[in-house]
Amino acid sequence: MPLSKEEIELIKRILGHEPRAEELAMFESQWSEHCSYKSSRLLLKLLPSHAKHVIIGPGRDAPAVEVFPGVAIVFKIESHNHPSAVDPYNGAATGIGGIVRDILTLGAKPIALLDLLYLGNPRDPHANWLVRNIVKGISDYGNRIGVPTVAGDTWFDKSFNKQPLVNVACIGLVETKKLLTAAPEPGDLILVVGNSTGRDGLLGSSFASRPLSEDTDKDLGAVQVGDPLIEKLLIDVIDELVNRNLVKYIKDLGGGGLTTAISETAADYNLGVEIYLDKLHVRESDLTPLELLVSESQERMLIVTDRSRLRQVVELLEHYEVPYSIIGSFNNSGRIKVYYKEKLVADVPAKDLAHPPALERPYKPPVKVIDLWKSISIPEPNDIADAIVKVFGSLNIVSRRWIYEQYDYGVGIRTVLEPGRADAAVLRLLDGTNRGIAVKGDANPRYTSIDPFRGGANAVAECFRNLVAVGSEPLAIVDELNAGNPEKPEHYWFFAQMVKGVAWMADELKLPVVGGKVSFYNENERGEQVKPTTTIVGIGRIHDVSKTLTIDLKEHGSSIMILGTTYPELGASEYLYVVHGIEAGEVPIPRPSLELRVASLMRQLIRNNYVKSAHDISVGGLIVALLEMAVTGGLGLNIDLSKVPTRGIRRLDELLFSESQARYLIEIDEGNVDKILKLASEYNVEASVIGKVVDKNHIELRYNSRKITVLDLEFLAELYYNNLGKAIEG
Amino acid sequence: MIYTVELLITNKKNVRDPEGDTIHKHLILRRGYKCVRKVRAGKYFVFEVEANDSEEALRIVREMSFKLRLYNPIVHHIEVRLRG
Amino acid sequence: MAKIAILKFPGTNCDYDVLWAIKSVGNLDAEIVWYKDFSVKGWDAIIIPGGFSYGDWLRAGAIAARTRAVERIAEAVSQGVPVLGICNGFQILIEAELLPGALLLNDSGKFVCRWIRLKIEKPKGPWLLLAYDGQEVDMPVAHAEGRYYVEDYIQIEALPKIKYLDGWNPNGSAYNIAGIGSSDGLVLGLMPHPERAAEPILVPRGFSTGGSIVFKSISKALKSGW
Repeated sequence: MPLSKEEIELIKRILGHEPRAEELAMFESQWSEHCSYKSSRLLLKLLPSHAKHVIIGPGRDAPAVEVFPGVAIVFKIESHNHPSAVDPYNGAATGIGGIVRDILTLGAKPIALLDLLYLGNPRDPHANWLVRNIVKGISDYGNRIGVPTVAGDTWFDKSFNKQPLVNVACIGLVETKKLLTAAPEPGDLILVVGNSTGRDGLLGSSFASRPLSEDTDKDLGAVQVGDPLIEKLLIDVIDELVNRNLVKYIKDLGGGGLTTAISETAADYNLGVEIYLDKLHVRESDLTPLELLVSESQERMLIVTDRSRLRQVVELLEHYEVPYSIIGSFNNSGRIKVYYKEKLVADVPAKDLAHPPALERPYKPPVKVIDLWKSISIPEPNDIADAIVKVFGSLNIVSRRWIYEQYDYGVGIRTVLEPGRADAAVLRLLDGTNRGIAVKGDANPRYTSIDPFRGGANAVAECFRNLVAVGSEPLAIVDELNAGNPEKPEHYWFFAQMVKGVAWMADELKLPVVGGKVSFYNENERGEQVKPTTTIVGIGRIHDVSKTLTIDLKEHGSSIMILGTTYPELGASEYLYVVHGIEAGEVPIPRPSLELRVASLMRQLIRNNYVKSAHDISVGGLIVALLEMAVTGGLGLNIDLSKVPTRGIRRLDELLFSESQARYLIEIDEGNVDKILKLASEYNVEASVIGKVVDKNHIELRYNSRKITVLDLEFLAELYYNNLGKAIEG
Repeated sequence: MIYTVELLITNKKNVRDPEGDTIHKHLILRRGYKCVRKVRAGKYFVFEVEANDSEEALRIVREMSFKLRLYNPIVHHIEVRLRG
Repeated sequence: MAKIAILKFPGTNCDYDVLWAIKSVGNLDAEIVWYKDFSVKGWDAIIIPGGFSYGDWLRAGAIAARTRAVERIAEAVSQGVPVLGICNGFQILIEAELLPGALLLNDSGKFVCRWIRLKIEKPKGPWLLLAYDGQEVDMPVAHAEGRYYVEDYIQIEALPKIKYLDGWNPNGSAYNIAGIGSSDGLVLGLMPHPERAAEPILVPRGFSTGGSIVFKSISKALKSGW
């Protein structure tokens, strides 16, 4: 939204006069929702962000966490929802570009990408066009810059048909002592390196701060075309600049362009700035000073170095053929002074520009949401096998092979597990040891659209479980909150509750939320919001990557054990939607203390080498998790459902499809069962052997002696691996 | 009658064209063709269309390209022309 | 000690991966050389690694093939220096006409990244010194323009080749060609990535380290000839 009357009055008071056009443009850009977070800052303070291993928390372009002594991981998540709705290919591609550059600002080397896509129904022609082009955009850009896309999350829902959510995350690796934490000082020089500045993306941030217009041609100014070749050169040259200690401070020119980069840096370090816009290297010679200030041309970064190092920096840039310009320097004044061809075109106090007043927005739950939290009465399915096949074949469950085979997941030779085989991606540090990290991203738009507090909390829990299941020690998370219009109390309520849910669960699980982003205004031209979604990306520490756990069943004769208790929680489940067409009910109760106990038990079992395969239970429930293990391993199962520890379960569908939290499945040797059961009771976790792995082509489900059904493994595999491709390509 | 219709797709004037720029800078200029001032890259399609007259054939290709998103109207400029 | 040059263009991104594999599996000395700084002198072998040189604009490898660096590679070949092209490196060698044939867009029209089963046919020269005819190896592919095309099989019949096993062709390559060498095997190009298949930790369940044979071969070849 453009600036409000109050905001404009405030700007006049700050400047002491009517703002020049250039000054107004700077404020409009910097005070937009996307850049300033004015509608979210207050609530975001609820998120816990401290822990002893957190080196840099929220505040810089990306946070940094120490994962091993002397080794830090820099990671961040970002959204590019609005550009992707208008130009999915370039919108998604430039999303990747932006997040990678944020990682570079701390001197880290980008080593992995994640794509978290919340897309429409692929059978809808418009949504189909968005799906294909978003994936191609990420593929073409990510592959070219040589950063592997190792994991992701996808969800298909018609509320995203025209307004997709494209969240991307990047993981960077750096020695703790090389992190660029130094402050710029008066006298230091400011360079802009990378792509030349053009008219693309003019005021793109205020574009992301309002709902999309009916006439997409009006949104053309916000379209940015990415050039991964220049991005790769930036990655290489910054790596060398950092290694040779030639640069003091780096900032990305992203949302808000030059204005934001300059104002945030000056404000953060109590500095002033003198900028000469005509020195900027440009694509078109007739750009006005205003356009130069707010252009969001891609692949540009701000580099700060002291005068004594300038010559070496310039030599390196020219060697790698990276375009650059020296546009100004820092001083002590606290003011941003912008010149164009000798004329002063803007003179603004840095702190006032960088920090617009935060807004306290009212919120209240919409009545129709409360109406959804009711008990759901549904008939038991006549044909349970049919229900199972429907759920297992649902697009939110099946393999994302169609997507991830378009991504280079192996470049960099750190990726130890290929996508689809484990609950999280695992990367080795490549430092001569077997140390590594696990990384995963999760969201459940259905949960957050029905109960945003529980949904936000459960997203954190699911990410936590995935990191534990692969054998890592969860260390930290970042969050992306995608919501509707913050000016509407009934949309803003979802945002507020999601924050509170994330904050609560993160506190309970002792997982610092070291950074995050917010994307508002995800609504269509009729003012209907998409399903509000909380995306959580987490990292875990792994001492030996050769000991990580995957989900595929390994051996005939092993036992299958479930850890955790199953409650009758069909509310907001995939089963309820796919089989009964209902999206309502009570979202499964978040269970933090049980999550911690089960996770501790899992870690102990893994340390004792008892676990051969592991999989957490989430969307689709117990039966989906079992079938995923069988299909990926190419082995069958004989399961006795009566052995599943439950409380309050009365029906078969509740047992199979309930999405109760804090549960895992593990494949173990029969000989270790007693030892494991003993440990489980010490950790106060319910555990039970529920079946055996068999070298057969079937999954047999029984309840005691009563046979429930037998499913064909090959048939399920065909469904699992091909359904998504069929839905997208027809 | 069968008409041969060509569709040329390039980026709109204000939209960056990294392919054209790279080919210009790293291939054409570098190998001495300094007289080439600018390069734009794009896609070229040829359609054999059955229609009553040439006007109809051109209209069909224009409509089809838009509807099926053979090009993205947000970023691309198109030229539809008859061959021969 | 023998020294290998790993050529780097704007957009090359598998250079460090190859450096790691050469040093840890091949036990050889190697250096990444920026294309502007590359000259033939002093190198015992040259590798052009994978990536997207010049963004794959125009055609994959087309712009890099027209650089002075690649002209010098042709000189190196005539002087008997072994040259290996991996993925984009293969595309560059093809565009520079140092190997026969052409590489086109995958028939699926999409980038494909997956592990593949291959076999080596008529191995010759330093890069396949330790391989035997018909040997089966596993390696991953990651490419969008890997569909091999040649006008007539006669042109390549006698040459050393690497082929996708039946049912494992990811891109529609003619004759299942995944890689091809010059008649004496001095020059070898292949789409799959041996540097991603040379260490057990990187190999998925059910496959084996098919890439190490390339690095072990060149290592032996440079020590005791081929």
